[in-house]
Amino acid sequence: MKSLLPIASKQPIKFRIPAAENLVPIRLDIEIDGHRFKDAFSWNPSDPDSEVFMFAKKTVKDLKLPPTFISQIVHSIQAQLTEFRSYEGQEMYGGERLVPIKLDLRVNRTVIRDQILWDLNNFESDPEEFARTFCTDLEIEDPEIGPAIAVAIREQLYEIAIQNVASARETRISKKGRRAAEFVTASKSGGTALDLVKLFGSKASIIRKRKEWDLYEPIVDILSAEEAEALDAREERNARLKKKLDDKDDGYITRFTRS
Amino acid sequence: MQTANESHPDSHRVDSYSNDSDRDLYTIPSYSSWFSWDEIHQNEKIAHSDYFNSTSISKTPKIYKEYRDFIINKFREDPIRRLTFTEVRKCLIGDVGSIHKIFRFLKNWGLINFGVRPSDVYCGGAAENLGRFDSGARSSDSDCNRGDEDEVRLGRLKVVVEEGAPSGIRVAEFPNSTKVLAAAPGEAAVGSGCEEVGEDGFRLPPLTSYSDAFGEAGRKKGCWNCGAVCVSGYYESVKQGGSVICAKCFKNENYEESKLADDFKLIDVDGTGNFGTDVWTDSETMLLLEAVTKYGADWNLAERHVRTKTKLDCISRLIQLPFGEHLLNASVIKGVDRSSSYHASDVKQMGTTSATEPQEEPSRTEDQHHECMMSADVAAGQVEDGDGSGRPLKRRCITSSGDAGSSLMKQVARLSTIVGPHVAAAAAKAAVASLCNENPCAIKFYEAEEDDTSHDLGFPTLNNETTRVIEGADTDMVKHKQSDSLEATSEKSGPSTLQIRVAIATALGAAAAHAKLLADQEEREMEHLMAIIIEAQLRKIECKVKHFEELELIMEKEYSQVQQLKDSNLSDQIEVLQHALNAGISRWKDDSSKLSTNHLL
Repeated sequence: MKSLLPIASKQPIKFRIPAAENLVPIRLDIEIDGHRFKDAFSWNPSDPDSEVFMFAKKTVKDLKLPPTFISQIVHSIQAQLTEFRSYEGQEMYGGERLVPIKLDLRVNRTVIRDQILWDLNNFESDPEEFARTFCTDLEIEDPEIGPAIAVAIREQLYEIAIQNVASARETRISKKGRRAAEFVTASKSGGTALDLVKLFGSKASIIRKRKEWDLYEPIVDILSAEEAEALDAREERNARLKKKLDDKDDGYITRFTRS
Repeated sequence: MQTANESHPDSHRVDSYSNDSDRDLYTIPSYSSWFSWDEIHQNEKIAHSDYFNSTSISKTPKIYKEYRDFIINKFREDPIRRLTFTEVRKCLIGDVGSIHKIFRFLKNWGLINFGVRPSDVYCGGAAENLGRFDSGARSSDSDCNRGDEDEVRLGRLKVVVEEGAPSGIRVAEFPNSTKVLAAAPGEAAVGSGCEEVGEDGFRLPPLTSYSDAFGEAGRKKGCWNCGAVCVSGYYESVKQGGSVICAKCFKNENYEESKLADDFKLIDVDGTGNFGTDVWTDSETMLLLEAVTKYGADWNLAERHVRTKTKLDCISRLIQLPFGEHLLNASVIKGVDRSSSYHASDVKQMGTTSATEPQEEPSRTEDQHHECMMSADVAAGQVEDGDGSGRPLKRRCITSSGDAGSSLMKQVARLSTIVGPHVAAAAAKAAVASLCNENPCAIKFYEAEEDDTSHDLGFPTLNNETTRVIEGADTDMVKHKQSDSLEATSEKSGPSTLQIRVAIATALGAAAAHAKLLADQEEREMEHLMAIIIEAQLRKIECKVKHFEELELIMEKEYSQVQQLKDSNLSDQIEVLQHALNAGISRWKDDSSKLSTNHLL
């Protein structure tokens, strides 16, 4: 992994998820005939595509879903992988950038809220390991939570990486000299990034102000069964509404037919 | 690489741990003995190379050191508890990935979370569940292995190095730690030599409780051989500092073959000089102070209250405190009413004397001043003589605060000058009377002593010529008497303490009288001032009333003037109209006349 560390941080690098392993976060939400299947996991994009089918078949079998799900799952995964691969090979701005990552997720009855800083230039950082430590430290027993956190982090990193690609492209187009280019990158892609000089300058202390501790502290809530059900119902309603809207303008379908 | 370190100015490598009693002791594994607050070791540089190749703003050696120091300090705030990464990261600004890396590094080296509950192993149940369908499983496997290694290490750990602590953070001292210390230098060189520890290693107890650490056993040295705590004394190796064996093992010649009996020297724990050397935490000191104020000099109770220190420790600690002795006295005095009230009045007196000093200064003659000094000296002498007498409580309260006696006498003299002769005499008389009620044998003493006690106090404010003459005559007598009494007190101490008590009572009386006088004066002054204020207010109101009346008059006048003006105006207008009507009619004039009639209506 060490070889991946860019020596000159300003040099653009090829697109990838800015983490130790280049895994694609995949999110599935499929509903057929009243059966709903929701899942999120990460996938190695270099795996052969036959694995996708194997995975779908096994999942459907394990979860005892109707066999119509298999094709839908394969379809969805393939679409998301294709989208990821479309970015591969493109350059992205590889400078050191610290972005805040906000976690707000619910798995079964556990609600997790947290905020962390992530260095986009650190290709040794490992969302899976972070999630694991998180669960150990907070004594979370639900085995689904760890992967959910990891996927949530990966999704945000993926999002930022895509933005990075766009901003790198923009920089290349506007050939206004080095300084201007840097400025553009800093202002465009650095919208959410933190000011490193301010944080790590000689005067600054890396110890956070006490009143900010709460902001960066994980909050774990266990909901009661009724609360969880209520939330489930609301989410389902929202999802249906969204789906109706999507169906209307056909945006949802075009996204999948493109592949 | 040497980095400036402001937060731990007193910390350096503790190689000479044996006499580092002023510092707290922490346990770290021997393979981490390279660690130092002031430096960044090669190990750290290799493991965190990204911080040392200056490629990034957020990764510099300084920032690395800040991260490291913060994490270790955080752990040492409570070394019994396992520090979690989640706790640390909320306080640190920076990439969680890199902070996690440092955290793992410190944990793997045992610089944090060393010796905490073994059940808290790193590899949790969540590990296997991650990376279900991807190559992430690979990484989680390797992590599990790492966790296992940790567990193995934890189980077999035997070596502890005492580490200088940053000031302000108090941590448990590990029992038997000295034994382990000895092993450190040899193995530390290897760095990761933990695997080679022999079978004489011991398991870390799962929890080091507070009382374990600070209790009796914590300060005893553990035997190098049998591990037993050396109660009475132990032998320390001359050649290899810190290598300790207990007396039993020494007798049985049960020590390492490479050593000779001559290499060991006996160290007697029972001897004095070991006390007061150990560390007191702030909370312990607070407990001690609490105990002393509550129980006074009952050290058994104090010991029980502090819990973690012995009686002797408590005493020596209290003596070391800058105000400890006074505190002790204050609490001891509590038992005796009179004296305690003396204590209070003494404080008050300080205030009054300092306030009135300038006034009395000119009126004091040289002679009297001398006399004051005399009496003070006598009192001091009496105090010292009184030392041997059999009234422990009383004696203590006087002897303890060095020149209390002399200053007391001085203050009595001074006070009596302030309040005037009659008051002082009355106070002295009352004091003697009440003392006599208490102790019949005092009557005899005071019958002889009475007049010179009152004179002893000196009355410089007397303007009367005759008394002054008498006083002059008396002073000589007083001096005689006092030297007599000095001799007398050296033989029997009863009278001297009585005298002091009379003096105290007199001082009290005098002070009370003076206070009363002052209070009365103050009250009068207040009344006077109040009267002035009220008068001034009344005058003000009167003035106002007068002013308003004047205004009213003026108003009335003006009103009548306005009325007159109105009338004349009206008549003028009527006149003008009449003239106009008489002169003939024109259209314009008609209009204007209409207008004015309207106006008039």
